[in-house]
Amino acid sequence: MTEEQQNSSPQQEESHKPDSTMKHIVSFAAMIVLTVAAFYIVMEDVVEPNMILPLLLFFASIQVVLQLFTFMHLNQKGTAYYTIFIFTGVIIAVVSAVGIILM
Amino acid sequence: MGTLTIMVVVALFLAAIVLGGYNKNFLERVKGSTVWDWMTTVDHKKIGIMYFMSGIVFFLIGGLEAILIRLQLMVPANDLFVGDIYNQILTMHGTTMIFLAAMPLLFGLMNVIVPLQIGARDVAFPFLNSLGFWFFTAGGIILNLSWFFGGAPDAGWTSYVSLALNEYSPGPGVDYYVLGLQISGIGSLISGINFLATIINMRTPGMTLLRMPLFTWTTFVASALLLFAMPALTVGLLLLMFDRLFGANFFDYTMGGSSVLWEHLFWIFGHPEVYIVILPAFGILSEIISTFSKKRLFGYTSMVFATVLIGFLGFMVWVHHMFTVGLGPVSNSIFAVATMAIGVPTGIKVFNWLFTMWGGEIRFTTAMLWAVGFIPTFVVGGMTGVMLAVPPADFQYHDSYFVVAHFHYVLVGGTVFGIFAAAFYWWPKMFGKMLHEGLGKFQFWTFFIGFHLTFFPQHFLGLFGMPRRVFTYQANVGLESINMLSTIGVIGMTLGTLAFGINIYRSLFIDKTKAPADPWNGRTLEWAISSPPPEYNFAQLPLVRGYDALWVEKEAGKKELTPAEPLGSIHMPSSSYLPLVMAIGVFISGMGFIARGDYSMGIFGLIILGIAMFMRSFEVDHGYHIEPEEIEKDKGVDA
Repeated sequence: MTEEQQNSSPQQEESHKPDSTMKHIVSFAAMIVLTVAAFYIVMEDVVEPNMILPLLLFFASIQVVLQLFTFMHLNQKGTAYYTIFIFTGVIIAVVSAVGIILM
Repeated sequence: MGTLTIMVVVALFLAAIVLGGYNKNFLERVKGSTVWDWMTTVDHKKIGIMYFMSGIVFFLIGGLEAILIRLQLMVPANDLFVGDIYNQILTMHGTTMIFLAAMPLLFGLMNVIVPLQIGARDVAFPFLNSLGFWFFTAGGIILNLSWFFGGAPDAGWTSYVSLALNEYSPGPGVDYYVLGLQISGIGSLISGINFLATIINMRTPGMTLLRMPLFTWTTFVASALLLFAMPALTVGLLLLMFDRLFGANFFDYTMGGSSVLWEHLFWIFGHPEVYIVILPAFGILSEIISTFSKKRLFGYTSMVFATVLIGFLGFMVWVHHMFTVGLGPVSNSIFAVATMAIGVPTGIKVFNWLFTMWGGEIRFTTAMLWAVGFIPTFVVGGMTGVMLAVPPADFQYHDSYFVVAHFHYVLVGGTVFGIFAAAFYWWPKMFGKMLHEGLGKFQFWTFFIGFHLTFFPQHFLGLFGMPRRVFTYQANVGLESINMLSTIGVIGMTLGTLAFGINIYRSLFIDKTKAPADPWNGRTLEWAISSPPPEYNFAQLPLVRGYDALWVEKEAGKKELTPAEPLGSIHMPSSSYLPLVMAIGVFISGMGFIARGDYSMGIFGLIILGIAMFMRSFEVDHGYHIEPEEIEKDKGVDA
């Protein structure tokens, strides 16, 4: 598998290499900062208590976007399977979460 | 730490004794030994066989527990196993059968057969495959070690809180459940992801999605269910672990937690789980019925559609396990309707099987007998399922033996019959030997009659008011004769299982005849290669020209598949001992956390896992190649 991937996209790898490495490092750093920030706002009383949950969800949604587009390459072609699976997962998660909250 | 050192030393001694002394060639001889080969293998066929064999071992353990349960319930007011020990046997029977028997048996079949059916040389991630197996094994061993160290879990296989919290279940029993299942669950999740990636990426040229055999399709859907359902269990077990080990209060309602939350999380996982174990069985039976009726599967696309629909609806019905919790009439009604809706795609499947047999040239081999026996048995289980889906009626059936009868009809009549059918059908492909048909038929009839004798009367036990999970009942309330009948039926199932054991022993150690490549006049790709297949499966990847790929070629009068590539050197993954090390790491960690008090062993195990992961990340290993000359040589030997 890995060998095949390396062979199939050599030009792409080379032309984007510095750019994509930077992108990965930046997103990785951003995700660590967001995670630390999430712990920080819960552990220290820096924001109002009723703001904690919305803020956590906001941090989480940024992380999801970073995860999907930098590390799972959703901005590239040929992602039909990912999209199907992600949407199925989202639907199931929403049904389950809404079910638990409402009942 | 002391125990660990002793175990390592004992293991070294044993290896040295078996291999003839400790000297400078010791390490080389260890690496050359068969045991080492199997422990470090990343070959999907060997991992599949190990999955299957460990599944059989756990099936026997779970079966023994079932015999003990029925012995206790044989006569009223019996005092063979009272109280705690009965609860432990009952809990371990359920947990073992679902998580440690049904799942690995199916994973074993999937591992061996799916890559062959889609024309692949291995699964997408051979290393992960091995890792999944060893994690599963570590979890299974942890669960069963509970018998010897501190008592088995005794809160039921659903492990409902508050019963499963420290206050009501002191002692390590439930800790074994939590950590054992967590570890084996990670293994299952890894395997599920691996199957998904394999089926999406590794299909041979021409194998479009709608040409895939039905076993591959059901494996695909079941793996997707695993992917989405396992996280719910993981979260639930994690919260329960924090409650029990670290004093959190997620489920303790006196501290503001919620006991219903556990039920939700468990059943959001638990209901898809029953489809995870039944859907592959559906796939197996579709293959077998089609092969032994010598007909194309009736309504192939509707079968695929029904499989996907069952998988999707499987997530929308979990509350039907919780009708009596008191969530209100609206939620009960919604989930009742959703539950009954699942009957529709399942019905489609049943009729498709019947129409496949209709007018077919039926051969009643053992595999076909299991498949034919499956249909009425499963229909009974499905019908009682629809009865249970009606909330007002469910208030009467709930927690009675009616439920026990229902789920044994679907799990034994569905999954176990399917697994036995698959064992007889694919045994030659897995081991290169045949199972004895006569013994197989003896097994079928004893098991089939014994099964119905055991579980059919239990419907009436439930209707007469006997609750499930209790260790005894009173005399003179009309339950004695039915319970006695039920216990007598166990003899049949035991005889059948023993016959299967003898059959396995005979085929592996006594029978010297080799199985032909295509003993059943098969229709799918796995029958085009020798039994057992060579390490690389296909010397040349085959070109698939239609559904039932091999049958299409047979119809065209060809002896072999059309190759899709020239003969060339084949890239193979090299075997690795790291999955085993990682599994040993989590095993030590799990036992360390169960021991409570001092967590140094738990952390030590995690450090082993971390080191192994580090080594894996920075290991440069490109595998090896099998050259065409060797492949030609193999072919010569076969001919």
